[in-house]
Amino acid sequence: MALTTRDRARLSLGIQAGVFAVVVIALIVVIDWEAIRLSFFDVAAVAPMFPEILTVGLVNTLSYTAVGFALGLAGGMVLALMKLSSFPVYRWLATVYIEFFRGIPAILVFLALGFGVAIAFGWNLTSLQIAGSALGLVASAYIAETLRAGLQAVPKGQMEAARALGMPAWRAMVTIQIPQALRIVMPPLTNEAILLTKDSSLIFVVGLTAGAGELTKFGRDGINMYQAGLTPLVAAGACYLIITVPLSLLARRMERRTPAKK
Amino acid sequence: MTPTRETTDRAPAGVVIEDLHKAYGDNEVLKGIDMTVEPGEVVCLIGASGSGKSTLLRCVNRLEDPNRGTITVGTHEATHADVDLDAMRREIGMVFQQFNLFPHLSVLDNCTITPRRVLRQSRSAAEQEAMTQLRRVGLEELAQRRPDQLSGGQQQRVAIARALTMRPKLMLFDEPTSALDPETVGDVLAIMRDLAGGGMTMIVVTHEMGFAREVADRVVFLDRGRVMEEGPAAQVIADPQQPRTRDFLRRVLNPTQVDLED
Repeated sequence: MALTTRDRARLSLGIQAGVFAVVVIALIVVIDWEAIRLSFFDVAAVAPMFPEILTVGLVNTLSYTAVGFALGLAGGMVLALMKLSSFPVYRWLATVYIEFFRGIPAILVFLALGFGVAIAFGWNLTSLQIAGSALGLVASAYIAETLRAGLQAVPKGQMEAARALGMPAWRAMVTIQIPQALRIVMPPLTNEAILLTKDSSLIFVVGLTAGAGELTKFGRDGINMYQAGLTPLVAAGACYLIITVPLSLLARRMERRTPAKK
Repeated sequence: MTPTRETTDRAPAGVVIEDLHKAYGDNEVLKGIDMTVEPGEVVCLIGASGSGKSTLLRCVNRLEDPNRGTITVGTHEATHADVDLDAMRREIGMVFQQFNLFPHLSVLDNCTITPRRVLRQSRSAAEQEAMTQLRRVGLEELAQRRPDQLSGGQQQRVAIARALTMRPKLMLFDEPTSALDPETVGDVLAIMRDLAGGGMTMIVVTHEMGFAREVADRVVFLDRGRVMEEGPAAQVIADPQQPRTRDFLRRVLNPTQVDLED
C-alpha cells in the first residue's frame, strides 16, 4: 500500500504525539511529586530570602554586569578601531589582547584581580571594582570583534560621502560610521550582555563581603541556611531569567527589525 | 531689515589637471590626463566602463590619490603635500551613483550634519539653509523622512541638496542617474540643468548623451586612461573625429543595434 506524502506527514505527527503522551503519563505516575516539590520548589522555606535576594542580590548582579558591559563597550571600541588602524603596531597589539582574553577562562581574570592585584600592588579592591573590571577586560575582547565586524559592514560609500563633504576622518567615524555600526551589531551586543550577566556570578570565587552578594552567592548560601533542598538555587536561577529573558526577547526583536541588506 | 540671503552660489572655481597618472598595482587606469575646466563651465566625461572617467573624477577631490601629476581646484593645489584636504573638499560637492545618503539620519539631518558639525553653524541657520536647498530640489515636504522611505530619484535629489548646503564652488557628479529607475532620471537631470544654468562649475561622468549635448559646454571622451577627444558637446557627439569616439557613441546611442561590421 502506497502512502501519499500527506499521509506520511500525518503518520509521523501521530507517532510523535503518541510517544509524548506515553512519556508524560509515565512521569506523572512514577515521579514522587512531593519530593520534587520539597527539593526544588519549597517556596515557604525560602521565603526569608526575600526581599534581599532581589534588593541586594539582583541589584548587585545588575550593577556588576552594567559596569562590566560599559567598560567592555569602551574597551571594545578602542580595540576595534586599533584592529582597523593603518598603523600595524596597533593592529598587532589589539590582536594579542583579543586572542589572550578570549582564550583564557574568565575565572582566571577574576582570581587575578581578586587575589593577584591585592598581593602584587597591595590594593584592596571592592567587589564591584573586581567584578566590573574583570568582566570589562573579558568583554572588551569579545565586543571588539563584534564592533569590528559592524564597522566593516557599513558600506564604504558612507565614509566616502562624509569625507567628500569635508568631514575630518575622526568626525566621519564618530558621526557616520560608528552610529551605523552600533545599529548593525545591536543583536550580538545584547547577547554579549546576557553572557556577561551570567559571568558576573564568577565573582563568588574571590569571596564577597556582606552587602556585596550577588544572585549566585544568595543561592549558594541559601542551601546551607534553609532546609529547602535546591530551592534557593532555583530562586537564584529564576532571578537570572528575570534579567536574561527580556534581553533575549529584545535581541530577537531587533534582529527581526533589521532591514535586509541590499 | 536684512535682505533674504543670496540664493546664488559662491563664485565658481575652475579646475586644472596636468599629466595625471593613476595605477592600481600594474593596472594603469589614468595614463597622463591634461584637462582644464573654466569657472562656471559644465564638462561631461564620457567613455566606456574602465576608461578611467570615475577615477579621474575621484582624483579631483582626492578620494583617490593620483600617483603623478597635479590638480588645482580654485586656489587649492589638490595634489600638494600640504593641502588641507578637508577645507578643499568643503568647497567641492560630490554626488555618487549610489547616493550614499546617511541612512541613520533624516533627510534634514543629512543636509545639516556637516554644516553644523564641521562649519559650526547653529542648528537654526543650518536648517534654514537645508530647507532652501531642499526646496530647490523640490523635496522640502520630505525633510523629516528617512532616506529608505524615498525613491532612488528622491534620494539622489537629497544628495544634491546635501552637497549644496556646503555652498560648493565645484560639483562633481559620478554617474548620478545610472542607478535610477528610468522614470526618475528626468527629475535629477532637471536639477542638474538648473544648477548648470546658475553658473556652477560641474564635472559630470555620465552616459546620458542627451543631457551632455544639451547642458554641457564641453565633452571629454576618455579611452583607456587617455583623453581621446574633447570639444564642444554638440560637435563631439554629433560629429566625432576619432574612430574610437564614433564607435563608443554608436554603441551608447543605439544600444540595441546589432553590430554587423566586426
